[in-house]
Amino acid sequence: MVSVLAGLAAWIGASVIVLADGRRALAAGLATVTVGLAGVAWRDGDGLAAVVILLGGGVAAFLRQRAGPPGWMLMPAGSTPRLILCVAGALVALWFAASITVGPEGAARFAVLCVAGLAAARILSTRAAPTIATALATLVLAMAVATHFAGDSPGMAPYLVAALLAAAVMFLPVPAASAS
Amino acid sequence: MPPELNADLPLLIAAAATVVLAVVLSPAQASRKALLARGGTGLAGIVGVAVAPSLDLAVLVLLALAVLHSRLPGQRDFAQRLQLPVVAVVLIVFALLFSRVQGPVVLQRFAAVGLVAGIAASVGLLPYIHVLEPDDTAVASPIVWIGFTGPVVATTVLLRARDLLTADAGGEMGAMLIGLGLINMLWGTVAAWRTASPIGAWHYSFMADWGLALCGFGLFVADGQAAALLILFSIVFGRLPLYLASRQALRANASADRPINLMVAAALAGSAPFAGFAARVLLLRGATDMYWPLALVLAAGMLLWLPVSLRLGRTLGQPRGRQALGVGIVLAINVVIGLYPLPLLALAGR
Amino acid sequence: MPSIAVVAPIVIPLVAAAVIAAFGLARINLGRIPCAVGAWGSVLALLVLWLSVRATQELNLGPLGLGTSLELRIDAVGFAFAMIVAVPAAVLLTLQPRTWQEATAAIVGMAAAIAAVESGGVVLTALAGGAAATLAVVQLDTEDVKAPRPRWSVMLAAWLALSWAGVILQDRAGTAVYAAVPVASLTGAVFTLLAAAALGASGLFPWRSWPAQMWLRPSLRAAGMTIATVYPLGFYLLVRAYEMGDGKYPQPAFSVILALLGVAVALGAAIRAQGAATRREFLGEVVPGLGGFALMAIALGTPLGLVAGILTLAAAAAMTACLALLPDRAGIATLVAIAAAVGLPPGLAFGARLLGLEAAFEAGVPIGLVGLVGAATWVVWIVAAARAIGLRAPSGHAAAETFPRVALAIAAVTVVAGPAAAAFQSGFANPAQSEVMTGSNSGSVAGGLVSVDTVSTVLPALTLFVPLLLIALLLYAFAGASLVRSQPRPALFALPGWGVGERIRELVRAARVPDQYRSLLDLRAVEAAAAGGKPVLWAAALVALGFAATR
Repeated sequence: MVSVLAGLAAWIGASVIVLADGRRALAAGLATVTVGLAGVAWRDGDGLAAVVILLGGGVAAFLRQRAGPPGWMLMPAGSTPRLILCVAGALVALWFAASITVGPEGAARFAVLCVAGLAAARILSTRAAPTIATALATLVLAMAVATHFAGDSPGMAPYLVAALLAAAVMFLPVPAASAS
Repeated sequence: MPPELNADLPLLIAAAATVVLAVVLSPAQASRKALLARGGTGLAGIVGVAVAPSLDLAVLVLLALAVLHSRLPGQRDFAQRLQLPVVAVVLIVFALLFSRVQGPVVLQRFAAVGLVAGIAASVGLLPYIHVLEPDDTAVASPIVWIGFTGPVVATTVLLRARDLLTADAGGEMGAMLIGLGLINMLWGTVAAWRTASPIGAWHYSFMADWGLALCGFGLFVADGQAAALLILFSIVFGRLPLYLASRQALRANASADRPINLMVAAALAGSAPFAGFAARVLLLRGATDMYWPLALVLAAGMLLWLPVSLRLGRTLGQPRGRQALGVGIVLAINVVIGLYPLPLLALAGR
Repeated sequence: MPSIAVVAPIVIPLVAAAVIAAFGLARINLGRIPCAVGAWGSVLALLVLWLSVRATQELNLGPLGLGTSLELRIDAVGFAFAMIVAVPAAVLLTLQPRTWQEATAAIVGMAAAIAAVESGGVVLTALAGGAAATLAVVQLDTEDVKAPRPRWSVMLAAWLALSWAGVILQDRAGTAVYAAVPVASLTGAVFTLLAAAALGASGLFPWRSWPAQMWLRPSLRAAGMTIATVYPLGFYLLVRAYEMGDGKYPQPAFSVILALLGVAVALGAAIRAQGAATRREFLGEVVPGLGGFALMAIALGTPLGLVAGILTLAAAAAMTACLALLPDRAGIATLVAIAAAVGLPPGLAFGARLLGLEAAFEAGVPIGLVGLVGAATWVVWIVAAARAIGLRAPSGHAAAETFPRVALAIAAVTVVAGPAAAAFQSGFANPAQSEVMTGSNSGSVAGGLVSVDTVSTVLPALTLFVPLLLIALLLYAFAGASLVRSQPRPALFALPGWGVGERIRELVRAARVPDQYRSLLDLRAVEAAAAGGKPVLWAAALVALGFAATR
């Protein structure tokens, strides 16, 4: 049950990041994803990894909440394609995790596929730096959780790097393109 | 030393040498400190990719590198520059996921697709070509991906992914690499010849070289891998520094037909005795070993480099002083590697 | 002689090149002295190496990483071809003025060509020969970028083809070393590649190819060096093929085809020569003409043919040096050069051609018929030579790079060498033939210093040619230049349809897409779409790849 809830939280968080433009919504989405992914990691037996993810994602969400376009800006006008993307993405991920693939850790498969896919789609569909940074943080956290599937345990290194990266991308100043 | 790092070692040394050459031999008005900082960061990044204990970590380092590169000031904005690296990273992550979870056999093939497409996207090859802004600085332009980081990233991913895939999916991956390689080779040479922009011609010429490298990787025989390594070496410590040396002349729209321009053209075309010729011999050997009609196609394709290379050689203008010295060093090293590639191949553990 | 000495003919010119380049970079042009020292040093090293032991000397410096070892070998074939390359190159490097860049490229090119003929295996020859070709193109473009030169793509294709032949041999036989390739591995396919490489490397085509076009360049510095160093390499491959094939080509048909091609090359050159508008144009056909006869003789597959081919190549090498130093103006030097070039008795070219035609007749049907065409071609050449004396000579060959006395001396030596053809055959060509024609096709041309013994007859070279030479000298002494008609004469004949190929090529070159035409495939649009960074295109490509992988 915890796994299912964690997977659901990850999807909801990623969907909020896809659907929102304001810093509050982005921070909330990132925090939700973090909780979901940490839950997935914890259920798969990586307690320490879950803590690291929580820390990295938490710091990133805190930093996002402090900078970026003000307010929530959740589902602004013209968001229908994004909404469809969130639902379709979840369905595809669910189909993959529950039907195509077999074995335990279905929630982890769902969460990784769903979060990474939605984060990538968000990065490709916007030019707003705060949104991209948030999606990037989400993506790296999902990548860290994905290392769980490796046969030989990768240890804590991916989680630590991902957590650091998630927090660091919020700090980076982004220059505008120079006029040609 | 792990075999993956072994394989990357010559490329890392070549990349370091290129950074040093670019810094030491850059024109006086350029900021050497900035160049050293950016080149050093890039070098540290690709070293990180090569030494990462797992492919997952290597991909994370790659993403970090992409973020750092995308925030450099340039003609394209942060979002535009980050797009293809993110596509690459996500494709590779999905490929790793598909190769690791339990499921139908077809997942392994999708994993192979993801790896090949991910490599193409990370380097900037067809069908994932980077947008090239002619006025971009060399450091901020996509040439960094195709000429500097790409060789190490591709080598790392391909060597490490080999153990993840089944033999069947590995064969599919080889076929896809060869197919993409041939397309890039043809597209790169023809587009470099036909395009109006000299900088575009350079960009496409990198793609053409990559086409040969992908064919080498796809052959899955020792000679093919050795050929790929030599081609990548000639990209990192051949085509890239020569491109950097030509930037000044490109801006001034100057061209020349002096002996040095012709030697550069010969080196870029893969004529004997430069490293490109040795790579081509090894590639023909590998292709003959696998399927001789492929060798015929490759041999015919190899002739397409000449018109392009003559064009590119002229764009070097008349290098003088430090730049001429730098071009001389690059040509000399390429001759040495072309005549005696064994030490380089031995360093890579081949 | 220590085996390391085998590298001397290659290293000596390379050291000279390094010295020239070092001083050149310091803005000091050392002139021709280091060139001469390097080139003649190489020739001297070759002579010392070969004449001191007159046996094969080998050196293996270990693997290179290309599946081949750095194996160098001086045997009779290597010595003969190295001399054919090095001697004319040394003459030209000694006499003609060059900038330090040109000199460096020229002498390194010479070293590369010698390395190609000293190489123990096919792949190494391809590497060295390719380097020689690259340096030749660099020299030519450095000298005059607008003047005719060989197509780089043809050159690269030739050496790539040879590389491919080499790697096939490595793959199938485990080795591409000439002396170690199993006979069965030299299949028809591999030989076809090798022959294509040979023909491409030397431009052996019936139409006007680069060895003829090069003489139309205003300056003949780079042209002379290119022909001296690159042109013999294709023939070298055809000779070495005998060694790999146990004295013969894989199929008799290859001999017939190549011999036919050879005589077609010679005939094409003769036809162009007899219709030449200028003397330079005529002289441009001399080397291709000699090359055609050499190809015909070498391809016959008989010991006599091979000997005749090597002698013809020696004559061609001498003419290369001679013609590159010859001024455009008329005079005794031009007269003797033309006589030597077209094979007037009793010159070396005459003796070699006589032996070549005899070898063709002795080979029987169908190659005997090739000999008949060869004889007819020779007649056309002689008429062309008579006409060439009166042809106008365009100016353009800079006086500083011409040496009429040296050209006259070389031409005279070539003529006088005719009576020594038997000795030349015995000491120079025969050992090379014996080296490669072993096994089923073993045997050598008998004779000695005086005569050449063939299957059907004996050619008393010394006793026949010396009186001929004396008669020629007496005639010239009595008549002087008064008999020489220097007014232009019309061409002997014009072949109907001659030049159609040229015209078609020009037509194709001049063809343009009409303005009204709009292509469905707009390359610029495709380029923009591909490089436009469109996620839809990326997704479509991914789907296509997925479909391909799971079909």
